[in-house]
Amino acid sequence: MAIPSDSEAGPNPKPVEELEAESATNDEDRGEDEDEIEEEEEEDGDDEEEAEEDETPAAQRENINRLFRRLSGGPVRLRVQDIIIRGNTKTKDALIEAEVLDAFRSACSMQELIQAAGLANTRLRQLDIFDSVSITLDSGPSELPGTANVVIDVVEARNPLTGEFGAYSKPEARSWSLEGSLKLKNLFGYGDIWDASGAYGFGQTSEISAGVSLPRFKAISTPRTTRVSLLSQDWLKFSSYKERLLGLSVGLISTGNHDLAYNLTWRNLSDPSHLSSKTIRRQLGHSLLSSLKYTYRIDHRDSNLRPTRGYALLSTSQFGGLGPDSRILRFIRQEFDVRGAFPLGFYNAAVNFGVAAGAIMPWGRGFMDSTSPLPERFYMGGHSSPICSLGGPTSLLGFKLRGVGPTDERRAILTKHGEDEASTSSGRIASPGGDAIGGNLAVTAFADLSFDLPLKLFRESGVHGHMFLNTGNLVDLTLAEFKNFSFRGFLETFRSSAGFGIIFPTRFFRMEINYCCILKQLQHDHGKTGIQFGFSTP
Amino acid sequence: MEMVGERAEEAKLEVVLVARKGGFGLPTACPVCLPVYCHLRFANVDFKLEFDRANPDSGTSIFAASLLLLPLLLPSTLMFSYTCSDHIPYVEYGDYVTFNNEKGGVIECLNEDNVVKLDSQLSKDCFPDWASTKVMISTWLAEAVQYELWVSCDNTIADDIYFSDLPWPIGKILHWKQTQAVKQLHGITKLNAAEKEEGIYRKANIAYEALSMKLGSEVFFFEGRPTSVDSLFLGHAVFVLHVLPETSVLRSSLLKHANLLRFVQDLKIRLLEDSHSSAMGPAFSSDASSSSVPRRKGSKQNAKPKPKEKRERTEEEKAFRRRAKYFIAAQVVSIVIYLSILGGMGDSGLEDGDEDGLAYEE
Repeated sequence: MAIPSDSEAGPNPKPVEELEAESATNDEDRGEDEDEIEEEEEEDGDDEEEAEEDETPAAQRENINRLFRRLSGGPVRLRVQDIIIRGNTKTKDALIEAEVLDAFRSACSMQELIQAAGLANTRLRQLDIFDSVSITLDSGPSELPGTANVVIDVVEARNPLTGEFGAYSKPEARSWSLEGSLKLKNLFGYGDIWDASGAYGFGQTSEISAGVSLPRFKAISTPRTTRVSLLSQDWLKFSSYKERLLGLSVGLISTGNHDLAYNLTWRNLSDPSHLSSKTIRRQLGHSLLSSLKYTYRIDHRDSNLRPTRGYALLSTSQFGGLGPDSRILRFIRQEFDVRGAFPLGFYNAAVNFGVAAGAIMPWGRGFMDSTSPLPERFYMGGHSSPICSLGGPTSLLGFKLRGVGPTDERRAILTKHGEDEASTSSGRIASPGGDAIGGNLAVTAFADLSFDLPLKLFRESGVHGHMFLNTGNLVDLTLAEFKNFSFRGFLETFRSSAGFGIIFPTRFFRMEINYCCILKQLQHDHGKTGIQFGFSTP
Repeated sequence: MEMVGERAEEAKLEVVLVARKGGFGLPTACPVCLPVYCHLRFANVDFKLEFDRANPDSGTSIFAASLLLLPLLLPSTLMFSYTCSDHIPYVEYGDYVTFNNEKGGVIECLNEDNVVKLDSQLSKDCFPDWASTKVMISTWLAEAVQYELWVSCDNTIADDIYFSDLPWPIGKILHWKQTQAVKQLHGITKLNAAEKEEGIYRKANIAYEALSMKLGSEVFFFEGRPTSVDSLFLGHAVFVLHVLPETSVLRSSLLKHANLLRFVQDLKIRLLEDSHSSAMGPAFSSDASSSSVPRRKGSKQNAKPKPKEKRERTEEEKAFRRRAKYFIAAQVVSIVIYLSILGGMGDSGLEDGDEDGLAYEE
């Protein structure tokens, strides 16, 4: 007797007569059911076939109805006696058992058992190493009444090697990117997934990485991921340096709300253009980053692409300088991001608002006079929407990438003038613009009103309009200058922009066409009033 | 931005030489930076000395070093397209900057841009001799120093000069890479190592003899005044005498020429150790926040920095060991706490993952 409990459509469902035989497991009908069980077990296969042939569809429906009545009448006491795993030629039994044991151990009734079976099925499918998973509840040994055996039938992936291509936003990349990846699943039978990927981002970012993820490692039940990545990012246009990273990241904790990762990265900043400003020049060279990053995330919004109700919270804490070597980069970085959305009740309109803030400071000997590492500082600007992803104080519509905040003059190039110029001196041509050097303290805020457009075609496809108001500030505030910090001055230097636009949500990203009007910017900011395109990934 | 602007205003008033850090009793221990230092001192330029501690003389890139780790994944274009060349030392004067890997080097750039004019009034008669002497110092003697520093001598000298301020794993990898690069540059293999070494030292000996004959009993090599030739040779000789060990073949060769030694000692006292001479300007100045160069008053003072460094190292070693113990203890405690808490996490995390699907999906 068996009760199937699977959400996959693969295997054929069990016959109704089996459901009927399995349904009688409550205390009142236990004796009768046991007799039926014994009879079934004693009968050979031919007898079973004869019984099946005699059942009519009406009788089957009646049996099912009787089962549901029994189940809805109250808890049907039942416990799991044994877990039988079939179909795994490569996958270790221990892995499957570890995924499902906790769920079934706590079940003490039929209802709880069915619920646990559904949960176990979900967990096994989430391992991403099986083509199908089927969990069947069978009767336990006849000498142990009130017990059931759980039979797990798995079909391992026929082709362990898969490829993917799409648009992603990975922690290793600074912006979203086009990525292609190859995955090798379950190589050693521990649910291990090996992947190699290459990515190209629109921020002149290219990345090659390889990683492995384990759903569990011995007694530790949370997933483990390890990734080695080689990343190249070109910031020559904005900050006159190129960044090269060779990093190892290890995911220590990865649950729904908590994420803890360790990162060991060898980083090299170089300036092949030889145009960098003094602030950038002082930070060029090799460095080692050994940091622990903890992220706490809550997202109870109803949608990532167009939230209309709910709230979200992100807190990211990063501690750099793990290790006894004092030459490792030492800093503490903290980000907060709070979002909220509430509906207005007409035209599917909703108001989204959010505030984000972040700060970074160095630590260690002489920290009062030292500066924080350039790549870890905050940069503001770009056309990505602040609504979709919780990204900290980075987005300020209307301003170019890294277009807000402190800058430093680039190198001047001496040239010799022609004959009509003074022959005693050389002319000077300063490189246009300056380098964005980021800031230690960043604050942004936004408010956005989204609404449906009048056309039915737009409403059906999810295209909607919005009006927004953004503001933000980014300052380079060292600890030595903190004594002279003026809150009023900080507020007075906030930049702001406003605008409206149309949003085209797609499956992979959200495209916006906005008209932005810069309300306030400072001398060296790169804000521009006009029509802008933006792409965001949730 | 205001602070940056103020710094720029201050910076415009002074010349800054950014070189590799000092050591062995010298303001900068790098054989490439010393000639530039001497050149500015010869020109009576009042400059400030700052140190760059994160760009060792590797001439390589992180991608080349990653050959050790991801050789099969990197495309060949990615491996070799981002090689960095050495830009140190460089001179800043406001927002005017000249790097060592531009236009033939810092000294050439300073001459061309009329910032320092030591070579601008050379007579036509001595120009050919001056040029060939300069080439000889820049090639034969520079190669010999490079060979001794990276191939034949103990690793500790290069570590002290270039890698002591980098984290240990990076320093080791870059040191190894630089050694391989120098061997490749000189075409040195296991089969021809002895032959190459003999050739390098032969050229160095010829160069020393030629320089000794050229100098004679004069104070400077050309026209009785300092030129870039004097800067280059003084920087080279000071490095050979003070940094290379006593067993160095190059050092032994230089010691054979008394007039070259006299040249070095006289000018070294004037340029590198006399911080009170008004004629030559301040000996050197260093940035209070970044410099660790001790002040020098004479040759006898060379021994003093070493004992101080040893004392500091001992204290640093103690502090290092204490911190390491605390670090390890903290790691053990955190792991124990984590494992004990983890036992109670159970299904709650998985149920949360079921709700929002973020637990196992990227």
